[in-house]
This record gives sequence, structure tokens and C-alpha cells, in this order.
Amino acid sequence: MRTVWTLAKKDLLLLVRDRFGMFWVLVFPLLQATFFGAIFSGQGRGAGQISIAVVDEDRSEESRGLIERLKKSKSLTVFESNRESAATDVRRGKRVAYVAIRKGFGESSRIFMPASAELEVGIDPSRQAEAGYLQGLLMEASFGGIQQTFANPQKMQAQIRKSAEEVAAADDIPASQKAIFQFFFGAMEQFVTKLDPELFKQGAAIAPAKIESVAVRREGRSPRSSFEITFPAAMLWGVIGCTAGFAVSLVTERKSGTLLRLRVAPLTRRDVLAGKAVACCAACVGIIVLLIVLGRLVFGVRVDRPGMLAIAAMCTALCFVGLSMFISVLGRSEQGVAGASWALLLICAMLGGGMVPLIAMPGWMLRMSSVSPVKWGVYALEGAIWRDFSPAEMAMPCAILLAVGAVLFSLGVAINRRIDR
Amino acid sequence: MIRVCGLRKRYGSLVAVDGVDFEVARGETFGLLGPNGAGKTTTIHMLVGVLAPDGGTVRIDGDGDPMRAAVRRRIGVAPQALALYDDFSANENLRFFGQLYGLTGASLRDAISHALHITGLEARRHDYVKTYSGGMKRRLNLAVAVMHRPDILLLDEPTVGVDPQSRNHLFENIEALSAEGCTVLYTTHYMEEAERLCDRVAIMDHGRILALDTVDALIDAHGGSSVVEAELERPPSEGVAVPGRLNGTSLRVDTARPFETVAQLAGSGLQLRTCVVRRPDLESVFLNLTGRSLRDA
Repeated sequence: MRTVWTLAKKDLLLLVRDRFGMFWVLVFPLLQATFFGAIFSGQGRGAGQISIAVVDEDRSEESRGLIERLKKSKSLTVFESNRESAATDVRRGKRVAYVAIRKGFGESSRIFMPASAELEVGIDPSRQAEAGYLQGLLMEASFGGIQQTFANPQKMQAQIRKSAEEVAAADDIPASQKAIFQFFFGAMEQFVTKLDPELFKQGAAIAPAKIESVAVRREGRSPRSSFEITFPAAMLWGVIGCTAGFAVSLVTERKSGTLLRLRVAPLTRRDVLAGKAVACCAACVGIIVLLIVLGRLVFGVRVDRPGMLAIAAMCTALCFVGLSMFISVLGRSEQGVAGASWALLLICAMLGGGMVPLIAMPGWMLRMSSVSPVKWGVYALEGAIWRDFSPAEMAMPCAILLAVGAVLFSLGVAINRRIDR
Repeated sequence: MIRVCGLRKRYGSLVAVDGVDFEVARGETFGLLGPNGAGKTTTIHMLVGVLAPDGGTVRIDGDGDPMRAAVRRRIGVAPQALALYDDFSANENLRFFGQLYGLTGASLRDAISHALHITGLEARRHDYVKTYSGGMKRRLNLAVAVMHRPDILLLDEPTVGVDPQSRNHLFENIEALSAEGCTVLYTTHYMEEAERLCDRVAIMDHGRILALDTVDALIDAHGGSSVVEAELERPPSEGVAVPGRLNGTSLRVDTARPFETVAQLAGSGLQLRTCVVRRPDLESVFLNLTGRSLRDA
């Protein structure tokens, strides 16, 4: 085992020192995940925007004003919706949250009303950072409404008159109290007519809207962001880069004479091939781990099931080790194997979700993609990241990956033996 | 130390090695001399167990089968191709291959230092191999082969593409190893190398050994006569007897006793401008055995 690890370390070091190879293994997949992730998520319109659905159940002038102010916020992307669709979108991860403007919001927004205007925010409890940020933005928007009211004397007068009428019509207020109120409203109306509206444009210390949070748990069967789609695909591109690199490296060793030197050394043929396989497997797993860490740190990609991810990554790596061994015998020269590997792997990637995400594939294409090991790799990784696979669900893609890997590895080893005979 | 009996290898219709027999004694430097395609490299590959022979046997130090890893541990090979990792330094190449031979810790460090010292690469030990000249790569190729102190050293055309200075350095290394008791099997198509280094030489062509003996014995048996070549000041006068073949002022005499012939020419009254004695060499041996020149074959 020590010998195998010595051989594997050598190959890993050679891979790291090959800048061109590292481009295809790490840089290209990362660029792809970032580029397509940004495009799919609308990141191009402005970094850091929170996508929310707004449900206007009040349909008042005040609720309309709030929606307009929210739409003007540079930090939000606002989609108007009904309550059911909004909650579904949040559950499926299409929107970060929904904001429901409850019935009575307009009434409660009036000055001198005892209750605060009510807003309902539906958001996954795990998204505490976004929830806090959104609450701040809603406060800002609701303050804006109150500011506008004070800055508009006519509107204020209308609201005071409406309040006075409601007090006059109320049955549960004693006549003596009604007189006091009417006196107050009259004085207030006088006050408002003489007030300089410019003073209130600077801000006013009046009670804000009351925001109630509602837990809307994401269902786990849909990605939270487009990066959770592009990163599994990028991991497979990294694995493909490793596969092609190791397939060519075996031919390079044969052509340069180093394979002869390895075979002359006191090693078995099994040791030499195992060294290559371990190195390829470690490189594939390493690139998956590296991309998931970068995805987490930079793009907020989260893994629902880390244990499952480890299994998926290992099965994917083992499958592509087999593919690498098989590809290494598809040509006798480095150029031949490099050409054959990229031709074969590109077809696998095109069919298997490396270019068109599995989630976006039409039914016929999804069925066709089953012939590609890339599809099962992406599927298994997505299963751990956002598809929330149970062990039983994870078993199928992993079993397929292992079976394909075993068959191709055996074929590759057998043909390799014939070439060297 | 090495015993080869009836060794055969065929690739399709091409017979690469056709019934080769030879033995190499402990501490001997043995040469396989032949043109490209003679079967030398295929023979080496069967000697180290990389290729399975179609017929015949190879035995190392008694009954050791080179297909077994423990037997191969005693052999060092410098392949014809530069079997090195270009993106590694000399140090890293030696460390890697040393580890494969079970060297670790202080013994590995000592072996690396020794190998770098004898091949004169200490100053460039941390440079990537891709920055080395062809001669330096050849020396490192040898260093990797000898670092684990093998009993048997197989050198397959070790001087191909090497400058004269590096070639001399390699010869000195091989002579030093031989002096330490290492058994060396050396393949080449340069007769000068075989003449300088080898105790015995096997002449190989088309997969067969045509002759095997010491260099002197081969020349005596198959080299033919010596040649005396003289350039005269002027053509000889009419009636003067001249030995050999005369072409204008150039004279060539084939003779078994070259020095007697030179003395005879000096006393014949001919005025010699130059006189050269050419002894037969392994080139002549190959020419006489195959009808072709070694360099042209």
C-alpha cells in the first residue's frame, strides 16, 4: 500500500505542476459554474439582490405605495404574486421570501391608529441573514410611507377628517369623550395646515409597521440558487479534466519510458495501475471538495447531506477512474488518447447534464442522458446538495456509477496488459 | 550471474529475438553490439521480466526468475529512452525511484547524494529535469539506475545523443561501477564503446548472436587483415615493384604483418609522404560477418 501511495503522490504532484492540465481541472469548471450560475440567477442585474414575492391582500393606496417603494430598492427584486404561488415559490427556492401585505394595512397605516400596519414575511428559518436584511428593508419602506403622509398636508387632513367621522359615528365612545376628540382633531387639522411639510421629509419618529415572520420551509427538492445547479455540473467538468489527464498520463509514461522503469522496479503490474487509480480517484475527490468549499464560501452553495456527498463524490470518482483506464487504451499515442478522451468525454458531458442542467432537460433528453455516467455523477452530487436524497434514492446512481467504473476499469486493464505484452 | 538460453520473441511475423544464448559472469562487463533493430532492446526487456519470452529462459544469479519482484530488486536499468519525469527535479526523480526500491530515511538520502555525486549533478539537483541538457539527462538516467546499488546493471544504448564530454563522464562512471564488482550488460551500436568498456562482446543482428568473445579474439577470428595506407611523394618509376594496389600516388596494402610491410616499403626506395596502419576493428568484424557496415545497417 505504501508503494501504491508513493506512485499516487508522484502523479498528483505532476498534475499540480501541469498548469495547462490544472486549467481544465480547476479553472475551467470554476469559470463555468460562476458564469452560468450568474446568468441563471440574474446576478448580472446587480450583485446581492434578494428575490422576493409580494402579495397585496389589502389593495389600498398605502399597500400600493409600499410595493412601489420596495420595487425601487436596489437590494430587492420584487415579483407580485398571490399568496399560494408566493409560498410555493419560496418552498421551491425560486424566491428567497414572500412579503404579504395583510388586509387592513392601509387602515392601520393611518396616523393615530392604535394598531401598527401588519406585514407577513414568509422565509425559511435557516435563512436568518436574509431574513434580517429583508426586515430592515421593509422597515425602511414602511417608514417611507409615513414620511410621505406627513409630507402631504392634504392627505393628512383627509385622514384626520376620516378619523373624526369614525369617532363621531362610534357607539362605544361617551359623548364627553367624543367632544374632546373632535376638539383635538380640529386643532390637529389646524396644526397640519400650518405645518411646513419639508420638515417631515427629513424623517419622523412614528411607529413602524409590525412585521410578522412566518416559517416557510424549503421543500429540499429544488435548488436554493442557480449555483447549486452549476456547481455539481462544474464538479463533473473537473472530474472529466482529471479523467482525460490521467488517461493521457498513462500513455505518456509508456512513451517516455518511465512506465518501463516502473515495471522494472520491484513492483507488480497491479501496484503500478493501482497507483494511477488512487491518484486519479484522489484528484477527482479533491476537485469536488475544492469546488464545494469555493461554492460554499463565495456563492453560498449549501450541502443538505454531507455524508451523502462523500458517498456520491467517491462513487463518481471511482466511475471516472474506470473511464480513465478505458480511455488510456483508445490510442497508442498521447495525441490519439487525448483526442479520443475529449471526444468521448464531451459527448458524455453534453448528454449527461454537463452543459444543459438535468433540471432543465426535456423528458426525452433526460431519458437519453441515462447512458452517460456524467448524468449519474451530477444526479448523485445534486442528490446530496439539494435534492435531499434518502439512502435508498442515492443507492441507484451510486450503484450505476460503481458498475460502469468496474466494467470500464476491467476492460482497460485487460487491454493494457495486451498492449504491454 | 546472467544465464540466457534459447531466448525467442516474435511480434507477429517479425522475429525480434531468435534463439539467443549467452552467459555473463559476476563482475564482467558484457556488450551486445549490433545495429538498430538487431534485437538488443527486446533482449534487455526479457532480461528484466518486462517482456515474457515466447521461448527460452533467463536466469539471474543461479535460478532467479526476473519476473519475480525480488529478483528485479537486484537489477538496475538505464533504458534507451530517457525514463525521467521532466517536471521533477533530479532530487525528486531519485527520491521517487529510490522509494520504489524500498529506500527510506537516511539510506534514501545517502543513496541520492551518492548517485548525484558519481554523475556530477549535485549542483543542479533541485532544477527541473526539463531544464537539463541531453547529456545531463543521460547521466541522471544512469544515476536512477544505480542509486539502489544493484548487483546487475543493464545499460541500453546509454550514450545516444550525448556530447563527448558527457560520454566520457558516463564511461568513467561505468568503469568505476565495474571496478566495484557490478555486473554490466551494455548494448550499443558504437563499436568504440564496446571496445573500450566490454570484457566480452556479442555481435547481434536480426535477432541472432553471430559471434561472441573478447574484442581481441573477435578481431583475430573475424576482423581480417590489417591495412597499410601510404601516400607517395611521386609515382614510382617504371619497373619498381610495388606491393598492394596503387592508385596514382595512393598505395593500399592488405597484410597480416603490417609493421613488416611498413619496413619493406621504407626500404624499397619509395618516397613516402604519409603512412598509416589500420588494424581491423569490430566494424570489420561486423562487416565480415554480415556483409554490411555496422553504421549503415
